[in-house]
Amino acid sequence: MIMSDNSASSLDASDVAARPLVKMVDVTKTFQMGEVEVRALAGVSLDIFAGEMVVMVGPSGSGKTTILNIVGGLDSASSGDVYYRDIDLAGMSDRELTRYRRNEVGFVFQFYNLVPNLTALENVLVATELVREPMDAHEVLDLVGLADRADHFPAQLSGGEQQRVAIARAIAKNPELVLCDEPTGALDYRTGKSVLGLLVRLKRELGKTIVVITHNAEIGHIADRVVRLSSGAIVELVANERPLPPEDLVW
Amino acid sequence: MVAVLDRKLFRDLRHTVFLVAAITLIIATGVACFVAMRSSYNNLVTARDSYYSECRMADFWIELKKAPVGEVARLGDLPGVTEVRPRIQFFATVDLPTSESLLNALVLSMPDERLETINDIVVRQGSYFTPTRAAEVIVNEDFAVRHGIKPGQWIHLLLNNRRQELFVVGTAISSEFVYMIGPGAILPDPEHFGVFYVKHTFAEEVFDFDGAANQAVGRLSPTVRARPQEFFRQAELLLAPYGVFAKIARKDQPSNFFLSSEIDGLRTFAAIMPTIFLGVAALVLNVLMSRLTEQQRTVIGTLKALGYGHGAVLAHFLKFGLLVGLLGGVVGCGLGYLLAEGMTALYGQFYRFPALPNRSYPDIYAAGIAISLVCAVAGSVHGVRLVLRLQPAEAMRPKPPPSGGAVWLERCGVLWQRLNFGWRLVLRAIIRQRLRTSVGVIAAALGAALLSAGLMMVDSSLFMVEYEFKQLSRSDVDLTFESERGRDALLEVERLPGVDLAEPTLNVACTMSNGPLSRDVGIMGVAANARLTLPRDAQHRPVAVPENGLMLTRALADRLRLRVGDTVTVQPIKGLQREHTVPVTAISDGYIGMAAYADIEYLSRLVGEEYALTGAQLALDRNAEARRRLDRALKEMPAIQAVNDRAALLQNLRETFLQNLWIFQVELIVFAGVIFFGSIVNASLVSLSERGREVATLRAIGYGPWEIGSLFFKESAVVSALGTLLGLPLGYVLMLLLARTYDTEMFRMPVVVHPAALLQTVVTAGVFIVAAHLFVQRKIMRLDWLEALKAQE
Repeated sequence: MIMSDNSASSLDASDVAARPLVKMVDVTKTFQMGEVEVRALAGVSLDIFAGEMVVMVGPSGSGKTTILNIVGGLDSASSGDVYYRDIDLAGMSDRELTRYRRNEVGFVFQFYNLVPNLTALENVLVATELVREPMDAHEVLDLVGLADRADHFPAQLSGGEQQRVAIARAIAKNPELVLCDEPTGALDYRTGKSVLGLLVRLKRELGKTIVVITHNAEIGHIADRVVRLSSGAIVELVANERPLPPEDLVW
Repeated sequence: MVAVLDRKLFRDLRHTVFLVAAITLIIATGVACFVAMRSSYNNLVTARDSYYSECRMADFWIELKKAPVGEVARLGDLPGVTEVRPRIQFFATVDLPTSESLLNALVLSMPDERLETINDIVVRQGSYFTPTRAAEVIVNEDFAVRHGIKPGQWIHLLLNNRRQELFVVGTAISSEFVYMIGPGAILPDPEHFGVFYVKHTFAEEVFDFDGAANQAVGRLSPTVRARPQEFFRQAELLLAPYGVFAKIARKDQPSNFFLSSEIDGLRTFAAIMPTIFLGVAALVLNVLMSRLTEQQRTVIGTLKALGYGHGAVLAHFLKFGLLVGLLGGVVGCGLGYLLAEGMTALYGQFYRFPALPNRSYPDIYAAGIAISLVCAVAGSVHGVRLVLRLQPAEAMRPKPPPSGGAVWLERCGVLWQRLNFGWRLVLRAIIRQRLRTSVGVIAAALGAALLSAGLMMVDSSLFMVEYEFKQLSRSDVDLTFESERGRDALLEVERLPGVDLAEPTLNVACTMSNGPLSRDVGIMGVAANARLTLPRDAQHRPVAVPENGLMLTRALADRLRLRVGDTVTVQPIKGLQREHTVPVTAISDGYIGMAAYADIEYLSRLVGEEYALTGAQLALDRNAEARRRLDRALKEMPAIQAVNDRAALLQNLRETFLQNLWIFQVELIVFAGVIFFGSIVNASLVSLSERGREVATLRAIGYGPWEIGSLFFKESAVVSALGTLLGLPLGYVLMLLLARTYDTEMFRMPVVVHPAALLQTVVTAGVFIVAAHLFVQRKIMRLDWLEALKAQE
């Protein structure tokens, strides 16, 4: 089912009753770049529901990273409201935002952003030490298939392995929401697919809510819903009746 | 094109403004030390030289019993002697209505009429002698000011046991007393010791010295001045019939000796201090430049690809260092000038010159700037060597991830396992960043060494004062008689009011020799079981003065190459002058002067007396009223040549000394702080800029700014703590070196290490480590980490 409306609230009759995990209402964002004002988001409204996988696609400059940063508490909206479980992120202090990121959000970055001076295991521990009820760091590494690489430093790991450590780090805190910024962007075809497989498993087996942003439209096929962005606005919102397993993707 | 690169240079400087400021501060402090100390040195040397030439400062002093003026004048016929003046000098006591206690005076004769003369005076108030009266006096300025003596006033001096009334015509200073120290004294005491200049004819009359003198002062040609031994030998032959008591070359003259030691010490400091600072600055600059070139590897690659040669790119980065050096040098010169002003003024409090201006010295400034430029370039060259190695293609590829691998510490399995990830991160960073860690450790070590050595020096000085006044000589007042007296004199002193304990002393000036080695020293005879004079060994335990033979201080024993069991030849300078060979039966340790001790009865027999004393040491009742009665009694007592009020001197010393020590300590802390603060801020900011993405990632994960700051804090704290601990023994070595600089025949510096000094160093280091971190923390709080998260290194 394809809708050209940039509102997602009337997606499906069965979902109307469900309370969204994240609710964005008419969010705008403008950046001051020197003397030029750049409009990154031009009124975005979007609901993200617990346990679903949302993939946002769009060319660079379309505003996907901005949405991710605002939802993740890294950045704030210029106007509009963003709610996480009915709590307004705009009303949070720096300290509260830090606690939000710490307890609710897991980030996966395009360039992994591992701490170079820590081993794979320690990079996971960096996250687990922050929260009260983390997952076991060894188990998480096992989950991403790196149990035998635990004592390796980032410089001794391949790109795919580094990204898997990054994913392990993101989920080890046991967050509700996992936000992935171009998780396959720096990876080759096969490794990229295996990383996506891992994300799908996280959703299915651990029930995490996963948001992936990418410029690769093909990846949208694995999502429950696909959000297509252009020039800071949602141009299309597609619900996949039957998401494809990542191994069936071709790009 | 170069202009464009220069524009980039200025922008680079602006973007690293805090780093540049930190390094500039260290360089500027080093240059300021150099400029201040060299300027003060020049100020003192210039003032001394012009004062000495203005006053026609003598090259030699020969003290005689009594010689006809004509005979003394014959010294002028000896080779190399350009000028001689026979002079009359006597010690006396002054009875001022304004002072309760008896004061000491040195009376010196001057020509009746103003003419160019050796050891001339500079009149400060009033005038030189007038033809009006015979009994006119000129008083040295410090004494006059302290006692409110003004020209036009009459004062009383006890001269040759007769009370004389003299008319004050003026006050003056003289190059002989730049450091106003009395004969035999170890410290200046302008309150209790004054110099009184009288007409030569008046002195002849009062002291029954018609046509005679008891001192010759004179000037020598430069070659003889440099090696006066042969002159002194001939002078002694010539004047032997009249009793030669002492021959003093200018270098041994007390005032000149202290002034010269100070000047030499200043020269040593002027070399040590700037070296420490500029060394640290060069190392820190090295770290900064390495980072800067690393950060700009793509820029370097691009420039090379465009066709810039190695030289042009290298020059571009070196210019950065040069500018930092130039800035530090110029700021340092300005600060140095101001600091020199303060230092010179401080010297002016202790050393009396007609004028002691702080001048500007373009050559010193030029040298300061040159040194700072050399240091800056030396620091930069090593840092930017990457520029030469980098190939354009390689440079433009993103930097490979920093090499990983376990560090050696991880092999200590159990220990490592117990550390949380934060500490692991910190320790790995410390171990991997060898250059930065070493620089941090060295800087902290030098800062701590500087501070601890300075504090040890303070403690050592304080200790020396306590040792001299509380351990070695413990009397409150020392009396010196005009001549040798018998036992009855001691009884008389014991009966004085307020005296708890009186002990006799016999001072015998003599020439002590062992083969070709010889020294003129005083032997001090003290009573068996004396309680007010307690010579001590190296561990400061009292050593009994032997019944027979001499006890030498170690300084004297070392110079004469004598040990316990050896014999030494002793020839008294006054009296019968008979030579004796006596055993050395003990050695004691002391810090000031070279001396020998003997049992007073043994020493009396040695000079051919049954029992003689030349003075007494008194321990007094602390009661103020008793003290006043003693002072009154002493004023009435005849035949007293000098009263040495040691208690007052100690009090005075503590006041002036402590005041200056406080300034000195603050200076030290500021200097050490510059090193700690500068090097830590630099290392942390460089580290922060390298690890911007790491910091951003941690922030994104949910770390707060203080949690991230604590990682940086741990890193700088570990490095600086390590350096500080290494700095403590280094400070001890520095202190030993300084003590050796000051080790002279008159003076030895003890090396005292109080745990409190070490603790103060550690605490100060801790405070600066925290302060530097707070500064870095502010940068962490303000870091635009979202931007850093997006950026690719």
